[in-house]
Amino acid sequence: MMVDEPRIDEGGTSSGNLQLMSRSTYFKETALKNIFLLCAFVAVMGVALIFLFVGWRGWPLMADIGLGSFLGGAEWNPTSALYGILPLIWGSVVVMAGALALGTPLAVGTAIFLSEIATPRVRSIVRPAVELLAGIPSVIFGFFGLIVLRPLIANATGGLGFGAVTAWFILAIMIVPTIATLTEDALNSIPPGIREASYAMGATPWQTIYKVLVPAAKIGILDAIILGMGRAIGETMAVLMVVGNAPVFPQGVTVPLSTLTSQIVMDMPYAAGDHRTALFGMAIVLFVVSMGLVALVRLIARFQTSMDRGR
Amino acid sequence: MSERRSVILMVLSLVLTLTVIPLSGCNAGARAANELVVTGSTTILPIAEIAGEMFTDDNPENKVLVSGLGSSAGIETVSRGSSDIGTASRDLKEEEMELGLYDTPLAYDAIAVIVHPSNPIDDLTKEQVRLIFNGTYTNWSELGGNDVRIGLVNRDEASGTREAFYKIAMEKSPFDRTAAVLPGTGQVRSVVAQAEGAVGYISLGFVNNEVKSISVDGIEASAETVVDGTYPISRLLHFFTPGEPTGLAKEYIDFVLSDEIQNGIVIDAGFTPISAGEDR
Repeated sequence: MMVDEPRIDEGGTSSGNLQLMSRSTYFKETALKNIFLLCAFVAVMGVALIFLFVGWRGWPLMADIGLGSFLGGAEWNPTSALYGILPLIWGSVVVMAGALALGTPLAVGTAIFLSEIATPRVRSIVRPAVELLAGIPSVIFGFFGLIVLRPLIANATGGLGFGAVTAWFILAIMIVPTIATLTEDALNSIPPGIREASYAMGATPWQTIYKVLVPAAKIGILDAIILGMGRAIGETMAVLMVVGNAPVFPQGVTVPLSTLTSQIVMDMPYAAGDHRTALFGMAIVLFVVSMGLVALVRLIARFQTSMDRGR
Repeated sequence: MSERRSVILMVLSLVLTLTVIPLSGCNAGARAANELVVTGSTTILPIAEIAGEMFTDDNPENKVLVSGLGSSAGIETVSRGSSDIGTASRDLKEEEMELGLYDTPLAYDAIAVIVHPSNPIDDLTKEQVRLIFNGTYTNWSELGGNDVRIGLVNRDEASGTREAFYKIAMEKSPFDRTAAVLPGTGQVRSVVAQAEGAVGYISLGFVNNEVKSISVDGIEASAETVVDGTYPISRLLHFFTPGEPTGLAKEYIDFVLSDEIQNGIVIDAGFTPISAGEDR
């Protein structure tokens, strides 16, 4: 820790003269600084340790299973020593894509309603409700999906009700808070002048929303969607309870399939040897995907900053 | 829930085994007289483990060490003398007959094939059951039922019920991999109860009136047909001892065969008590 000479920041004093801190204030300030540093350090160490552990346990995969037959293998059948995760990756992508397709319009619509249309009174009811949605444990979504939604889909399709469609509906609701909150922030951070200028030109509220506000907030909305994507692909319990967990390429959207996350949970209790290594390999894949999504968000943020500077 | 508990027990017993193996290596054959080692089937593990705990609660001076390594390992260790009781969820193989082991059956494990109550099919042959679960039949009309798609419900691979069904009903031919895989008996039952075309399998003890149990080869699954051995998808669970059980082993086996365990843990775990056959 680099600590400068103890002194108050020049700008902070009204008289502008340099004043030394008392010794006890100095120690308090230093202690606080270090405590906060420690907090940040613990969080970073947590990520680093998890990554190291998962990497360490998953690494033998290269030698024991082979990266090609792991990532490219079309059959996940641990009892026959086949550890191809392609069907699981496909399952994760199918589930995530459908959830985004359903959830994004819902969430962006909610955000536009909250930011542009709702009266303060309505907003004070709807916003906490959306935020509450984020606080509901995922197992409750899964339980709701299994007990309520699945039988409805089973009746409608004549199958068991397990499948991508059921997961889409559940996940679409689950990602609404993530996308809606961030989209609302993006809409709120648009300078009021832009809104006023649009109305001054004679645009209706709807024209203002879809011709001015949404385009102006598009980077923020994109961020929101990417984070929603991360939530959808990482969701485990709710998905596990409604997809049916058949590790195959599904022949339709109303038949069982499996995802990376749900398969890890299904197999963890009894997996041993190569099978266990393969599960850690799947964890690495999920880790890389979520790192990729975070990196994408950062990249977009940087792109936006440079665009703003260019204006 | 008993499945989850059995997983926990399995992990516990693995830890136990790992600590016991080096110990028994030091003083092989010289186990303390108040120590009972029970090794073998993972299906029997929950019963043996919980009964062991209750047994030591009643007799604190004794120790019962239970581990689940599989039926073959149970038979192997008891015949070698490194365990006092070997548990097995199968009969002795021909080459194991010569080991001179004494057989005390402790429970029946029967698996019922269940369908939605509205399904008109009442009876299937064992071969038809196999062909349903390996994906050959895809519509109930092929079996004389309604024109409804068959919805296969399977158990996860950690399940002892799946293992037994795989051996007895499937005769070790592979399951259809597009089947839904559910992590619990209760889930299988509730899903089958709600979907018209669904078919699944659960331990006989868990069948209730939400689902319809199908008779196999004309034999209805019930305590009677399981006990008299006519119901095809069932098996006996065994304790094997070197010769007639004596001392601590006898006390423990008698405890497992007592009404307290038979009508408690054995039924809770989804098995049929051995005493169901004794009234006959």
